[in-house]
Amino acid sequence: MQLSLLALFAGALLPLGLSTAAAAAATEVPQTSVTFRIPATQHLQNLHTLPASTHATLSTFHKTLSAPLSTSNTFVFRNVTAGSYLVDFHCATHMFAPLRLDVSPPVDDHGGKAPKLVLKAWETFRGNDWDNKGEAVPLRDDVFDARLLGAKSYFMERSKFNVLSILKNPMILLGLVSMAIFIGMPYLVDNMDPEMRAEWDERQKTNPMNGIMGAASGQGGANPVGNFDVAAFLAGSSKKSDNASATSSATLEAASTPSGGKGKGKKR
Amino acid sequence: MLPPQLSALLLLALPSAVRAVFQDEVGHIDYHYELLGVPQQETTFFHRPRRDEKASLLYTLSDVGVLGAVNPKTGVVLWRQLLNGSITEGGGFARAGEGENWVASALGKSVHAWDAVNGRNKFWTDFDGEVKDLEIMEMTENERKDVLVLFDEDKTHSTVLRRLSGDDGRVVWEFKDVTKDIPLQVSNNVEKVFVISLWGTPAAYNLKVTVLDTLTGKRVDELVIGTKGDVHGKEDVMFVGANSAAPIVAWTDAAHKHLRVNVLGTKTRQEFMLPDDTVSIEIHAPHLVQSQPHFLVHSKTATGNRADVYHVDLKTNVITKAYDLPLLAGPGAFSTSSSGANVYFARVTEEELILVSSASHGVLKRWPLKIEAGKGSAVHGVSEVVKKDGPGAEDSFAIRSAIVTNSDEWLLVRNGEVSWTRPEGMTGAVAAAFAEIPESEELAKSLEQEAHSNPLEAYIHRVKRHIHDLQHLPAYLNSIPTRLLSSVLGTDVTSTEGELVRDSFGFHKLAIIATRRGMVYGLDVANSGKILWNTRAFDLNGGRWNVTAAHVNDTSGQIAFRGSNGDFVVLKTDTGEVSYWNPPGPEVLAQSAAIVDHDELGTLSLPVRLDGKIGDLQQPGVVPRNTIVTRNPQGGLNGIVFTADGDVARESIAWEFSLPKGQHIANIATRPSHDVVASIGRVLGDRTVKYKYLNPNTIVVAATDDDASTLRVYLLDTVSGQILSVAKHEGVDAEKPIECAMAENWFVCTFFGQYTFQDDSAQSIKGYQMVVSDLYESDEANDRGPLGDAPNSSSLGPIDNPLGVVLPSVVSKSFILGAPISALQVTQTRQGISSRQVLAYLPGTHGIVGIPRILLEPRRPAGRDPTPAEMEEGLIKYSPAIEFDPKSIVTHERDVIGVQKIITSPAIVESTSLVLAYGIDVFGTRVAPSFLFDILGKGFNKVTLIGTVLAITAGVVGLGPMVRSKQINMRWQAPM
Repeated sequence: MQLSLLALFAGALLPLGLSTAAAAAATEVPQTSVTFRIPATQHLQNLHTLPASTHATLSTFHKTLSAPLSTSNTFVFRNVTAGSYLVDFHCATHMFAPLRLDVSPPVDDHGGKAPKLVLKAWETFRGNDWDNKGEAVPLRDDVFDARLLGAKSYFMERSKFNVLSILKNPMILLGLVSMAIFIGMPYLVDNMDPEMRAEWDERQKTNPMNGIMGAASGQGGANPVGNFDVAAFLAGSSKKSDNASATSSATLEAASTPSGGKGKGKKR
Repeated sequence: MLPPQLSALLLLALPSAVRAVFQDEVGHIDYHYELLGVPQQETTFFHRPRRDEKASLLYTLSDVGVLGAVNPKTGVVLWRQLLNGSITEGGGFARAGEGENWVASALGKSVHAWDAVNGRNKFWTDFDGEVKDLEIMEMTENERKDVLVLFDEDKTHSTVLRRLSGDDGRVVWEFKDVTKDIPLQVSNNVEKVFVISLWGTPAAYNLKVTVLDTLTGKRVDELVIGTKGDVHGKEDVMFVGANSAAPIVAWTDAAHKHLRVNVLGTKTRQEFMLPDDTVSIEIHAPHLVQSQPHFLVHSKTATGNRADVYHVDLKTNVITKAYDLPLLAGPGAFSTSSSGANVYFARVTEEELILVSSASHGVLKRWPLKIEAGKGSAVHGVSEVVKKDGPGAEDSFAIRSAIVTNSDEWLLVRNGEVSWTRPEGMTGAVAAAFAEIPESEELAKSLEQEAHSNPLEAYIHRVKRHIHDLQHLPAYLNSIPTRLLSSVLGTDVTSTEGELVRDSFGFHKLAIIATRRGMVYGLDVANSGKILWNTRAFDLNGGRWNVTAAHVNDTSGQIAFRGSNGDFVVLKTDTGEVSYWNPPGPEVLAQSAAIVDHDELGTLSLPVRLDGKIGDLQQPGVVPRNTIVTRNPQGGLNGIVFTADGDVARESIAWEFSLPKGQHIANIATRPSHDVVASIGRVLGDRTVKYKYLNPNTIVVAATDDDASTLRVYLLDTVSGQILSVAKHEGVDAEKPIECAMAENWFVCTFFGQYTFQDDSAQSIKGYQMVVSDLYESDEANDRGPLGDAPNSSSLGPIDNPLGVVLPSVVSKSFILGAPISALQVTQTRQGISSRQVLAYLPGTHGIVGIPRILLEPRRPAGRDPTPAEMEEGLIKYSPAIEFDPKSIVTHERDVIGVQKIITSPAIVESTSLVLAYGIDVFGTRVAPSFLFDILGKGFNKVTLIGTVLAITAGVVGLGPMVRSKQINMRWQAPM
């Protein structure tokens, strides 16, 4: 395919009478120069950080061209002949999308000038059909822009021992809260005013469990809802023994947050 | 087919199972020698990269084709460029214009200009011819400095000189001369450009100097200078003073009796006597226009060296001898440094560094030189002299000299003190091997003695030995605290530092590297790859050492290198002491070497001749049991077997593998020497077993057909020569690297392919590919194929079944790779239980990638999601592309250039494989393909562990009394 096209070229040039030029064109394959550029983007603002080993390659059958990164952040390929090339950007710090570059002879070539090759580039997808082209890369000022995919991170983060991360665990939080209650309750009881203490003691006698939880929920008062006996309600019966209702209310209260305990508890 | 975005996503998600390197392991598990290659005298220089700053850098284009900049203070490489992408055998040109911020280089047919500070490219151009010389035009009609490049265009038989613009590499003018002359060099002074070429016949060349106009490149004059038959080739002519005010051309007669010098632009030839017994001469002169036109002739005799300094009169072009520097015994080197008009010559002898001015013979300053033993003596160097104006006539001088020694070290001497040394000789490595640290011979001897004596004596001997060993106890007890502390803090165990002792993990080994320049290096793998010793095996005088086999004998602690020219050298692995030595001959005699079994020595290497034969072996006891596969001159392979005939082992060709016409072998892959298989089958998700085809006598041969652009991958049985399987790949580019690797029951091949699918989809593929093939005994699960459970089988006589030879069932898949790869190697572990990785060098990004086997799995389901059973087996959905995840790069951020080969070695712990890559750089690391499952890594925080235990203990101790008192109180409290 390529060869035949080139032969066509030579054939088209010869009748023009430019014997020397034609001879040169016949022996020398038309060449062009291709430039790719790394544009400054949000993720790569300082292009000077790119290492000097960064380079780009054009590869196709029986041909590989390589160009180093220039001071103006471009890759300049000279002497590129017609063909369909895979463009790879090799960089130690960043990844770039591979491109497909087609260098093709112009469709109509009039005039005796040396034919200028037409350049077209698309994004390509590895492991897909070569003709499955992505978005076309526009040729701006004779330059194609490379598309940054992202920075490379070579290292794995080691999970570090961190007290905060342990504290973030809900189980640990629950345990801590209950521990605080457990340890703090006796002091709370000691600091109560005598009247309240008496009240509390009274209730403690009837129901130790409720007392504990009640102390946690505030000033020793039970939540009004706490008196609601779910088990009894669900069973369809009215109040049973004191003990049963107290246990279930305690369970309920434990489930509810300790914030709702402002109201004074009713005496049973 | 997947939508491209999705497949890209999948790819990013896939290698999450890859084990990456942790940041804190860098420098702990790996080591890297960032090298340039041995600097060449003409292409090494100090240069100030910024005009207004005083600091200068050291630039060199080395003999392996690396151009780089080194900080002369620290010896750290600032930037490197491998000029034509592969290792060269010297040559090339590099120059920098005074006060310019760029460095120009030329190699082969390319001309580059690089930013002197950061190594970025300023411009580059490829031309048709081969570059013969490169010069900077210091004085041009405008501010800019340009580059003059001389080309020899073979195609058109012409000498072409191009002046390239120093800004963008554009050709300012071109001078073309269609002659058969041999272009030698270009030189210029303020007004003219001179092209010097050899003119005439090889018997008696004359020098032709073509004088060109600097503005237009038009020929102004042409001078022919007779040489009276002294010059027979381009190496007979020495050129100097390329950019000095009065450039000269100099040559000697064959007997080194006379030196003949011509000032370019004149017709006269001036003759000077050389000292008697001169073996070779070198000429040193400044390169700056403003420098005084003085030059120094360094003449070496067999035992010593001396120098003569000459001055050129700018008006009359007459050369006069100014003074001479006396003959000193031993080798020496001279270097030139110029600042402004002053020219200084620095002389490096074995004991001293002497500085003289070009104007007079008085020694300006001398420094005693302290180069430590083992670094060799100076061969050549470059210097930078700084003059500080002192009070009165007391000027003080400071000098920095970068010296290349005869043991291929590059060192910087600052006022006589060595400030850094770079082991540049390790570049150009051609062979390497891992060796165990030799155990102490006494222990081995006494153990042997015990084995051979009667039980009682052996027992007594053993008790005595143990009592004797008690003397090491105090030292051992002493070392316990430090070991404990370092173990807790996670630092290295320091007790083995300084001595070579095997460790319990098997990480402490030696890596022995042989280079093409005839040097051998011994590296301590566990100790950050520290160089333990270096030895020059052969003095090759610029020749090349082709090592065909590096063969380690761990029982005797020796390594043998067998070269292609009949050379053979045996060294001790721990000291580098040469115990046997046979120098190379002039002819290439061997194509490779075969490692065969030996009754007493264990193994032995035998040279394979160029005709693919080994010859009958006369040594008694050597009868190689295995078939040896050699390349025959017809481009095929021979299988050679030996049969014992008395004391002689007779050679015979068992089989011959000839390729069809047009095909030739591109690559051969053999099994690694340590290829243990942990399991003979693979358990599938449904609990059935697919049995692996494990034939140890197989090799993979990749053969290309250039006309048809096809690649055929043959799997050969080396006992019978039978082709077990063949795969044909179309549209394969034979000019790009084709490589294969094999292990266990699978092999991989990589190549550049461009072809259209053979199904009707009309799709085509272009890119670097990797094909992986698994071999099984049968297509079916739970089936061991025709051989069944037979305990023995033979490739030669298996024909007990009507199907003939047992052929493996092959499953293959191909993948498109994200980058070209080379130097394939498979990891080796002790038991083969860990999964394997394919290690490969990425020439694009200068790294080494570890591709996990789980990705390269031919049984990955294509076009559908894996079934639960397949998922259980660890199979992931096939996606045609493999993008290399940065986390799978074992070299991580390091820039490892020019890797030619990677070798691996198992450690004692199963999880880990030791890796060494060589070529230009030397890089070593440890990889754990299935994670570190048998040792605690650095991530195991012993401090936290101990801290937690201590905290809990403290808690128990503190809370115990509290709880106890509470319990007692409870008992004593009346129930309420």
